Amino acid sequence: MDVKSKLSGVVGAEHFSEDPNQLQAYATDFSYTAPGAPAYVVKPATSEEVSQIVNICNENRIPVVPCSSKVHFFGASIAKEGGVVLDMSRMDHIFEIDPENRRVRFEAGVSWETMTRALEKEGFRVIMPLTPPAQRSVLTDFMEREEPTNQVYDYGEPLQAMEVVWPTGEIFRMGSASVNGYPESMAKGGNPSGPGLDFYRFFQCAQGTMGVVTWTNLKIESIPKKDKVLFAPIHDLNYAVDFLYRILPRRIGQEVLLLNNVDLAAILAEDWPGDFEKFKASLPPWTLILVVSGLLRRPEEKIAYEMNFLTQVLKNEFQDLTLGENLPGFPGLRNQILPILRRPWPADKPHWRTRVKGASQSLFFHTRPQLAGQFVDLVQAVAYEHGYPVSDMGMYIQPIEHNRACRPEFTLFYDPKDPEETAAVRDLYCDLAKTCLSEGAVFTRPYGDLAPIVYEKAASYVAHLKRLKKVFDPNNIMNPGNLCF
Amino acid sequence: MAIPKEIYKVFESIVGPKYVSDDPVICEAYRSGPGGYEDGLGYERVMTTIPGAVIMPKTTQEVQRIVKVCYRKDIPYVPYSTGFYGPRSHPHVEDALLIDLKRMNDFILDEKHFYVEVGPGMVYSPIQEECMKHGAYVVIGGGGAQASAIANLIGDGWSPLSHRIGLPHRRILGTEVVMPDGELLKTGSLATGEDPFWGEGPGPDLRGLLRGYTGLRGCLGIVTRMAIKTLPFQPERLEPTGISPNTALALPENRIKWINFTVPSKEAQVQAMKEIGHAEIGGAVTKVPLFWRAIAKAECKEEFWDIWGKETPESIANFFIVRVLLIGFTSEEQMAYDEKVLMDIMEPLGGVARRTKPSDESWIKNADSAGMWLMCGGYVSVDYVIETLSQSTEHGSSYAELKKKYTPPLMPDYGDPGWFQSFELGHQGYSEFLIYWDPDDDTHPVDQFYVDTSKMNIKNRYYTSLLGPHQPLYLTGPKYGPNYHEFLLKVKDEFDPKWMSHPPVPLAHDVFVERSPWMHPMKDWESPGDLPK
Repeated sequence: MDVKSKLSGVVGAEHFSEDPNQLQAYATDFSYTAPGAPAYVVKPATSEEVSQIVNICNENRIPVVPCSSKVHFFGASIAKEGGVVLDMSRMDHIFEIDPENRRVRFEAGVSWETMTRALEKEGFRVIMPLTPPAQRSVLTDFMEREEPTNQVYDYGEPLQAMEVVWPTGEIFRMGSASVNGYPESMAKGGNPSGPGLDFYRFFQCAQGTMGVVTWTNLKIESIPKKDKVLFAPIHDLNYAVDFLYRILPRRIGQEVLLLNNVDLAAILAEDWPGDFEKFKASLPPWTLILVVSGLLRRPEEKIAYEMNFLTQVLKNEFQDLTLGENLPGFPGLRNQILPILRRPWPADKPHWRTRVKGASQSLFFHTRPQLAGQFVDLVQAVAYEHGYPVSDMGMYIQPIEHNRACRPEFTLFYDPKDPEETAAVRDLYCDLAKTCLSEGAVFTRPYGDLAPIVYEKAASYVAHLKRLKKVFDPNNIMNPGNLCF
Repeated sequence: MAIPKEIYKVFESIVGPKYVSDDPVICEAYRSGPGGYEDGLGYERVMTTIPGAVIMPKTTQEVQRIVKVCYRKDIPYVPYSTGFYGPRSHPHVEDALLIDLKRMNDFILDEKHFYVEVGPGMVYSPIQEECMKHGAYVVIGGGGAQASAIANLIGDGWSPLSHRIGLPHRRILGTEVVMPDGELLKTGSLATGEDPFWGEGPGPDLRGLLRGYTGLRGCLGIVTRMAIKTLPFQPERLEPTGISPNTALALPENRIKWINFTVPSKEAQVQAMKEIGHAEIGGAVTKVPLFWRAIAKAECKEEFWDIWGKETPESIANFFIVRVLLIGFTSEEQMAYDEKVLMDIMEPLGGVARRTKPSDESWIKNADSAGMWLMCGGYVSVDYVIETLSQSTEHGSSYAELKKKYTPPLMPDYGDPGWFQSFELGHQGYSEFLIYWDPDDDTHPVDQFYVDTSKMNIKNRYYTSLLGPHQPLYLTGPKYGPNYHEFLLKVKDEFDPKWMSHPPVPLAHDVFVERSPWMHPMKDWESPGDLPK
């Protein structure tokens, strides 16, 4: 039996395709990554099917590209060397919502839309990154370490125990889900660590190169009973960062983030492009958004103590910062912003990252908050040299872990139909990456062009990573052409 | 064969003659025990020996050079920092080089970005003291404040304070590891620069090599530098009080205090933990086993036995305490809010707040190792598991049942079902089961109980710390994952193909069973024929 027949036999003919039109849907995404169509697309329904497919591909040295979402911005799920796209969209079950342990177990194909709706019915939510597309895989976003806008929880990482299929085809459960007979077991999957090694770490930021994650457990939180959304117009970024250094270690707020006028305008605009241009012109250079919430018990009192703390700090130490429920010139914004922060970006509305000019390329990294302003200046200077209009650049700073770190993100909007503009943005992106890296930016998710730039500076890490990859994927079948593999 | 003289000379040239020794007296000082964790058990007697030589490097470069020499010349070596983990931290083969890392005790505190950067010789006590002076705190594990912070972070790393702080794995930031062949691996932000503030990547996260749920006991390299995340604390000073060994920290009760509640049942105890977690309050929420109280009251071993001997199965079965630590992270007003919410939770559950000392004798200051260890002369925490409150609150009962078969020599505990508590605001639960014995008794049943607990966990489908090097790998391996042992051993073979880094870990417990006739009747699992004998 040939490979095609074997693959088709595993998932059934209706879930196997070699139709060029269907394959084309997987050949591009919202990045400038060169198109690359796979030879086949298969849509497994179970972990056992995934295992069989991977096994067939491993035996025949055929690349496997796992693909869980319908919206991609970084080119990671474009087949670089052909092979089989493993479309996980049929594995879209939420197996259980466990209110006692505040945990949800779900498959790779579960989208943000499905997840948020299901949890909302039970009074729960997942702390989420900024505006994930409704059709995007929740699991992928957490595996790829998208930073949530909510950073008040000390534990930081919400991922718990999960299941993977190794590149050699074995199904393997990690952490406390590794017990015999899971989930019919005393262990519920609350601990991602072990057994033996922290195997789950190898799958983080791996872009599908280490195996296929089929399902995971994830922490969920109660939906606050009350919220107070606060805004501050920011003209001096360093001053705002100092304010965050002061308040976030005191565990103030739930969602907290800084957006520049371009990003915030793109997020808020309804009428396009009128709203966008108008908002961009009238918003302050930066806006601090801070949500103070009352939880399950005594919600008003919780909000009150946080507000009293804020009032004292503002009065005594930050008199030049105006933090209020309204952003001047934007009445009603407080009612608009909370759904934006707590729900995925609607599927029927173009994502703000693509809406401005059709596509965008985002450069993001980790740094110390006190350096964020310097990186902004640096990025703007390099953009200016490249002739990219600084006033069109989106900027977003996500404070992390009580503001002991932050994640600046610079978004370059461009018209993907204009090859010159696309090439210019690509040049700029690479130059920015090199410049920021040389100034100490920490890139944890090296996609596409970023990978060789980052890994060139991490020789020892790469050497060990390649050895580890060889252990688990001796034939390098998992998503080749990404990272350093 | 002793370490050859010409190689010894090379070691001298690396660290200087003052910091290497094969003097039998010095080597004897590194013998496992007495009085420590797992002291006197079969594993210690059968598996440990004194080193062939001891070397004390000061820098990562020196460690690299030492390890490279060992690797080239086939000299087994064992990394050693403070040695808390008893026999597991000591050489298991003859003429090994013990690499004592105590001199690598650098310590940098970055108070603004909430981390400390330390070497493996740095212990917790000064870290906690300095952190608290600067508005931060760390978790000091049960091993005590004199344990190496790095060893603890890659081995265990939790305490009741984990109710808020959570899993230790997440606090490992930029890290330097000398791999088994001497090559240097830098992870997190150290991979591409000199700033250690960030932990992950780049790309797939090689922090996964540092540990599993529990540690690898030095069989996959030596951590020589690590940035450890600290967490924001409250700002007021906790004043040291008392005279050693009866010391404590006086708590400013406007910002931090323990409250002990008695509750009418285990169900109420469990429910309280869940509700406190859901309400997102508190800095620690733990059950207090009755024998902790006996330990706390006793001034000596005899007094412990006097107090403990008065207990009965009935007194144990009717003792339910929930101990809660409130911390005013934000303000006194937040502290008052947390207390009101706590009372809202406890009142309908029948919880009664008891008078509680306004001090901390254990978990914030220095953990509890000294008090825990010496009651009977022999102690081990036979399992310590982070899972969910669903597992942790039931786990101990299975142990208590199994333990009856092994009492004596184990200390009678009248059916005490162990310790459990909330982790990560109730997303996780923790269970630990402590056992004591008199080392003058026949301790073979203690060895057997240890392995039998592993079988109990497998049978009842519990997650457990008794994985990797802690139990026979070929017993647990097929039952977790499944077959995690195969993947672990592949990684070991890749990075340490000559098995020079603390041999025969992670197969040491397998070897112990093979070498110990009293364990043979228990062996009902398959293992390869080529295990070291």
